[in-house]
Amino acid sequence: MLRTPSTLSVLICAGALPIAAGELPEPLISFLDSHCVECHDAEVSKGDLNLLDLAFEPGKPDNFKVWQRVVERVESGEMPPEKKPRPDHDKSEAFLAGLREPLIATDRADILEKGRVHTRRLTRLEYQHSLHDLLGIDIPLTGLLPEDPLSNGFETVASGQQLSYHQLSRYLDVADLALGEAFRRVLEGDESYHQFITPADLQKNGSGNYRGPDLRDGKSISWPLRLQFFGRMRPTAVPESGWYRITLKGVEAINPDRGGTVWGTLRSGKGESDAPLLFMIGLVEATTKPRDMVFEAWMEKGHLLELKPNDAELKVPGSGASGGNVSFKGRNLEKEGYSGIANRGIEIERIYPIADRATVRRPIFGEKPKDGSEWDADPIAAVEQNISRFARRAFRCPQTPEKIEPYTSLARATLKEGGSVPDALKTAYRAILCSPRFLTLVEAPGELDDFAIAARLSYALWVSSPDWNLLQLAYEGKLRKPEVLSAEISRLLAHQKAERFVESFTDQWLNLKQIDFTAPDPRQFKSFDPVLQESFLLETRGYFADLIHNDRSISNLVDSDHVFVNGRLARHYDLELPVKPGGGVQRVSLPAQSNSVRGGLVTQGAILKVTADGTHTSPVVRGVFVNERILGVHIPPPPPGIPAIEPDIRGATSIRDQLEKHRDSETCASCHQTIDPPGFALENFNPIGGWRTNYGEGGKGVIIDATGRTPDGIGFDKIDSWKSIYRDRKEDLARGFVRQFLTYATGSSPRFSDQAHLDAIVAQAEANDYGFRSLIVAALSSPIFLEK
Amino acid sequence: MPTFTFRKHLSRRAVLKSAGISLGLPLLDAMSPAFAVAQETGRAKRFVGVSLALGLHNPNLVPSTSGRGYEPSRYLKSLDDIRNDFTVISGSSHPGVTGGHNAEGSIFSACPNMRGTTSRNTISLDQLMARELGHETRFPSLVLNTGRQTSPSYTENGSMIPAENDPVRLFSKLFVNDSRNEQERQAELIRQGRSVMDVVGAEAKALQREVGSGDRDKLDAWFTSVRDLEKRLVANEQWVHREKPKVALSKPTQIPRDNEVMVERIFLDIIHMALATESTRFVTLHITGNSVNGIEGVDESYHGLSHHGLDDDKLRQLAIVEQGVINEWAGFLRKLKADAMLDETMVLLTSNLGNASSHDNKNMPVLFAGGGFKHGQHLAFNQKNNYPLPNLYLSALHRLGLQNETFATSEGEMDGLSV
Repeated sequence: MLRTPSTLSVLICAGALPIAAGELPEPLISFLDSHCVECHDAEVSKGDLNLLDLAFEPGKPDNFKVWQRVVERVESGEMPPEKKPRPDHDKSEAFLAGLREPLIATDRADILEKGRVHTRRLTRLEYQHSLHDLLGIDIPLTGLLPEDPLSNGFETVASGQQLSYHQLSRYLDVADLALGEAFRRVLEGDESYHQFITPADLQKNGSGNYRGPDLRDGKSISWPLRLQFFGRMRPTAVPESGWYRITLKGVEAINPDRGGTVWGTLRSGKGESDAPLLFMIGLVEATTKPRDMVFEAWMEKGHLLELKPNDAELKVPGSGASGGNVSFKGRNLEKEGYSGIANRGIEIERIYPIADRATVRRPIFGEKPKDGSEWDADPIAAVEQNISRFARRAFRCPQTPEKIEPYTSLARATLKEGGSVPDALKTAYRAILCSPRFLTLVEAPGELDDFAIAARLSYALWVSSPDWNLLQLAYEGKLRKPEVLSAEISRLLAHQKAERFVESFTDQWLNLKQIDFTAPDPRQFKSFDPVLQESFLLETRGYFADLIHNDRSISNLVDSDHVFVNGRLARHYDLELPVKPGGGVQRVSLPAQSNSVRGGLVTQGAILKVTADGTHTSPVVRGVFVNERILGVHIPPPPPGIPAIEPDIRGATSIRDQLEKHRDSETCASCHQTIDPPGFALENFNPIGGWRTNYGEGGKGVIIDATGRTPDGIGFDKIDSWKSIYRDRKEDLARGFVRQFLTYATGSSPRFSDQAHLDAIVAQAEANDYGFRSLIVAALSSPIFLEK
Repeated sequence: MPTFTFRKHLSRRAVLKSAGISLGLPLLDAMSPAFAVAQETGRAKRFVGVSLALGLHNPNLVPSTSGRGYEPSRYLKSLDDIRNDFTVISGSSHPGVTGGHNAEGSIFSACPNMRGTTSRNTISLDQLMARELGHETRFPSLVLNTGRQTSPSYTENGSMIPAENDPVRLFSKLFVNDSRNEQERQAELIRQGRSVMDVVGAEAKALQREVGSGDRDKLDAWFTSVRDLEKRLVANEQWVHREKPKVALSKPTQIPRDNEVMVERIFLDIIHMALATESTRFVTLHITGNSVNGIEGVDESYHGLSHHGLDDDKLRQLAIVEQGVINEWAGFLRKLKADAMLDETMVLLTSNLGNASSHDNKNMPVLFAGGGFKHGQHLAFNQKNNYPLPNLYLSALHRLGLQNETFATSEGEMDGLSV
């Protein structure tokens, strides 16, 4: 079924501008003709690709994508398929080079004209942090705005963000709420609240079922009872919604576990059956040595604290009374050997964690005047001056009187109608906070100006607007200087606000946001508890933050000589390690030759949980996750009409057997040989990240087979050997990570013509063994980040 | 107010009263033309779409026989008294929609989602209806969710409408009059909001010159949103001082969050009142709550049960929850029927998941009631090669008097469904 070259070239010539068909040189056409057209013609049209009908019009996005795919599949060696005659290496390279060139030129021209990112809007988290930093207020705002959709895995990606009047109307409302809070604090003052509740007072739980703590020897004690809301303490209910500093005095473990601790949780909520939701405040790691534990948390009006041992592996006493009651009368649970958490009272104090009243005053009213009297002399000048300063900060760049005229004219109108200076300012600020100059990153095509760079940097690493330092450097035009840029990146990363980046980035990149999307089957996974779930998050975030701060090698994605665990995790992972009681999640070295399966990111509980559905695991789901997010391998979506595999947890069949049938077909196998291997290697980990050797309840089902073969043919027998293959593929891992990071940081995936930039970023970090920090600095200094 | 429509109102009021509802008077001028149209043509005029995030277990739902004399399935036995008021549809789904949970956004839009990877949705059925016919009521549509703030309701440019998920707040919005002071404050905020929107629109225009041609689509969305919000604010300005209707339903106080079926009932009760008082005509309710251990005989989470993995005990518990969800939907139908509203109200129950355990989007569960169609049948299509469900959506649009030729991937009106 060979076509003559002329047939093909005629059809390609029928293609249109901007790169004329004639520019696809003859050798390319003959390559396609001899190696591709046999299957990709009108009749066979494999994979829905008919090259005979395909024009060469890379200026059209859809057409560009098809040709890009042709390059990628030939590049990876997938095409032509193995069983067909292979072109020799030089011919392939020449073909690829020839085809890449016009594609890169087209893509590059498009980037220069239009940029990669088109009007990226702040996510609701970025919006909240911006308002907090701008105004000094601390009330939660994310819940008042619509959820941000994920696109290419990230909320920041501009092409996935849509706008409607519903969203705009929320911005109006939230701006009003946030400004109301700031103005109220400045004009009326802050609330104060300070209570110390003694162990005896903690017993006062009003009428109804008693679910409060025990009282013994002047200590308030919570026991691990399973009754809902056991551990609630009604006297801790707060009078107003706000941030509170909660100090648990003299926290002490009673009958601790082998690690010397009793694990519990401190949560807040209404504590009633019609409002069962409890909000995690933090883990309570009670040790034998009494100590004060301090927490800071937002609590809703009327919500109370619930403190209880929450370790699923603790022995549970009966409730000691009928109905829903709890009674400790005549019992000494300590002597009976039950574990508990004691404290010597709870202190609760209202705080304003972001800024005090004086600091809130500055951004909205400026330095002077204290009583507002000077405003009366020239109210118009007063509002103009204040609006100018506020707009400069909110819009992240200098403002001329003309530029802020729309806002000052709103304020003047308010004054004219008899409004006060604060009224006028509030109106103008509301408009500023709804303006696209605040809500989107304003970026002109080509190289970004210093202010746009400042904004990108700050949103990337602080999830918020730039501070005065960054803006000052932008004014001075210094941000493009490599040494200044690199120093600023270091400053931002060292700042406490960089924790927001760690949280926000891992929430999206590693899907940690979905940590509680599924509740593990309580019958199959009896050891799962809220302490474990919270520890998973602390582990992965702590591990990742350390990779950045200590510039550790990219190979740590796959394997490491250390772990981040607390005592609860060490027990869950079955690690015999020296974990310091009371030390929280801590860095612990794995002994050499320990053969631990727990080094690296992919075998951490959080990752294993978010890639399972609560009852069972699928090598396909985990395989796609590991390929895309860790190994840097893009997996195309499945073709339509493929029947899903019916999960069966009864233990008589293995998912592997079910998959084998699926892989029989050649079409499926071509992708699944890439997708499945990491998933197979992870099959020894159950949906809560615990180790297992058999399927089924109680480990009585079929034996798990975790062997496999990488797409390039290297065999592995279980997770250890899989890790030892991939931990050395540092360049691939680095390139994959940089792609993920830059997608998050710029709001657009790197493009086809960015390949050379990506190579340069990876090469720049080679000297530091592809350290995370080095990769981040190189990525933020590359044209991909510094151009629109 | 013309006499003839006033009479219709009176008779309507009498009907409602007998059902235990008293309408707040005076009635709004804006309502009368709508009444006239609806009454004259005998068309349906309302749509309620109830959607489930976790599907329904097909073996318990789909009757084994088809046609008018179908044998009720396990789940449908308790609906036998109203079997002539709804149609069961099996073997249908949205063409090109896959991606498991990610397909939630396509429940009412039927937008082929490129297997969950496309970033842009298209308008959902309820919003298309509301855009054309929703301007006569206080709320063009209600977008509700029993748990989360996400919704399957999307605007024309593919932006998700955040859902109301608090029944107490919903009740207040619909039926509780704000104090004079609050009304004044609202009016002032709206007035101010309109001037803010003028500025925002002008700034978006100014930005167009600064950011390059690639951003044109995005800025267009700003212009459209500003224009739409201005329209909405003008309408709200009219409504803010008007009395809200009084209803014989008290404001919910206890929301049993551990019992998703009860939460569904509370929402459906409010929806019933919202329709009866002409506060809105187009509603979606997405059922997403995960807590069901307040239901007798159930001790696991809803999501956990939906991943039953064929385990007997999980399937037993799942059936208790799903039967409850269906029974509440049926209870809602019975109320509309008693108020003589069912023939004018189309009510759908469906889900993006045909099989929640395997995250399959084929064979969506579909129960369709009311709207004056001839029901009482099981339309059984091919389970392997599904029938396009968007055809049902096209039929629903036509039933409202809208002349759309297609909806999403529809191929025509629904086969086997007639008036």
